[in-house]
Amino acid sequence: MQTEEYRGPKPRKNWIADWVSKNDDVARSLPIYTGGFSLLAVLFNRAIFGIAPVTDASSSQSRADLLALGLAVTNVLTGLVWLSIRPKSISKVEPEGMECHWISPYLPDTVVSELEWFWQSLSDVTCCRSLVIVYDGICILQVGVAAESSSGDGAETVDAAKLIHGALCEGIMKSGAQNYLANLSLYPSKSELPFLPPNTQAVVLQPLGDKGIAVIGGDTIRGFTNADQAWISLIGDKLDATLMKSLTRTESLAQNTG
Amino acid sequence: MSALGGNLLLPLNVPIAVRAKCCCYLPATAPLKTRRNQRRAWKLWAQSDHFRQSTISQQQVNLSVLRFTFGIPWLDESYLPRLIGYGFGSLILLNHFIGSNSPVPSAQLVSEALGLSLAAFSVTLPVVGKFLRGATTEELTTLPERAQQIFVMSENISDNLKEDLAWTSYVLLCNTKSLSVLIYLQHVLCVRGYWKVPEDLLKDEILNWFIGQITKFGLVDVKDALYFPQSTGSMLEGAIPDGTGSILIQPVPGKGKENIAGFVLLASSISYAYGDKDRLWIQAIANKFRGETRNTDSELS
Repeated sequence: MQTEEYRGPKPRKNWIADWVSKNDDVARSLPIYTGGFSLLAVLFNRAIFGIAPVTDASSSQSRADLLALGLAVTNVLTGLVWLSIRPKSISKVEPEGMECHWISPYLPDTVVSELEWFWQSLSDVTCCRSLVIVYDGICILQVGVAAESSSGDGAETVDAAKLIHGALCEGIMKSGAQNYLANLSLYPSKSELPFLPPNTQAVVLQPLGDKGIAVIGGDTIRGFTNADQAWISLIGDKLDATLMKSLTRTESLAQNTG
Repeated sequence: MSALGGNLLLPLNVPIAVRAKCCCYLPATAPLKTRRNQRRAWKLWAQSDHFRQSTISQQQVNLSVLRFTFGIPWLDESYLPRLIGYGFGSLILLNHFIGSNSPVPSAQLVSEALGLSLAAFSVTLPVVGKFLRGATTEELTTLPERAQQIFVMSENISDNLKEDLAWTSYVLLCNTKSLSVLIYLQHVLCVRGYWKVPEDLLKDEILNWFIGQITKFGLVDVKDALYFPQSTGSMLEGAIPDGTGSILIQPVPGKGKENIAGFVLLASSISYAYGDKDRLWIQAIANKFRGETRNTDSELS
């Protein structure tokens, strides 16, 4: 609710947009039904009035019928195109594991709040259910759903050294580019990510400069859109800058005191 | 990103002049090759693209599509039903007034009424198609005329906040179809992009001028997101560039549940610039400043 102090214009409601987005399937089929019904109506009209079912260009009746048929066919074809390009909906898979929320206690507050914001954004906007960040050789964050440890006591911890030296991360560090495993089950390298729930559907591996990596697990195959990937990439750069600054400050503090 | 995969080019012979292309884009495919014979049969190249994971640049979900186009660069095929509706509807009217004997028989009147209704329905189809799930606008943003590109920020704020404001305004301009960004957080202002600023205004006066515009509309009291997808009305009419298509105002939450600490305003030259996903991300970016406002408060006190 706006207070009385807001004096600007109010957005106008777009009824068509609202109706179409809530009734996508009906909207897609509407031209087909309209066109089909019109085709039958033209023939029925001819039958009712006893007009012979022949096309005669000199007859204005036939010309009107032909034009109506042409429009009906246009509608049917449009409906068929809309149905053929309907996006396939893929259902999400509940990750098997346990909830965890661990952030390194040695990080300054500013870094912790930025990491928390990153996790909150990913979980609110995307299909992300697990997030692990490794920076400068150590795991600094593990939140969301994690795999249960083989010993049965808590979540599977992240072996940062093993992750960094694995083929997946080495490739990403070398290229410096994000890697999106849209259907994780097809990739044998998923064994390098044992801390993620075993039924994680998709993973985005975002390098954080040349010192870290963010592993983002999702619950839907191809669940991360291109927009999500673009945002993750830009936020990754920001995180790298923040973590690098924090690292530099820590090192200089250690030098001064040491 | 890896290149598009699974690109098959299949030659077909059909007696109609069409050209097949990939559904959303016009990649550097081979131009239409025609071979005219007495029957004017043209060689038709059908191109099927099977999109995979991150190789799609604009679609939200993967799908296999086969669509045909006329290959005319300026013609948007989604508007074809509208053109056919106008054309055939005009012919029906012409047939009624010129091509038929008076009095017009009832059967013809029924056919014409049906035809005109169908024509009207066909004209509205592109509008409906724009809002279907997965439909993306291919409209490109245009640079506004009579607007300046500026980047101004409040002074006397911490370096951290300066960095965050600079980064946020940059990513919002980069990752959305925005041309103008304004971030306001309790007396702290960051304005970036194309804005219609009076020419005689000095650099030091720009921020105060914007604060005056914000106060005039009471934007600091906006509690819910406001989205103007088409007509922007009088919203910041003194500052928003001419021809702005859509405006989004996203409040920045404050410390308490009811408190609002500021807002993020985005403007684009195209209509319906911000889809559902865009708005979610913009909301997430605005939430970043929830923590920042605590720092601002302590600096100002």
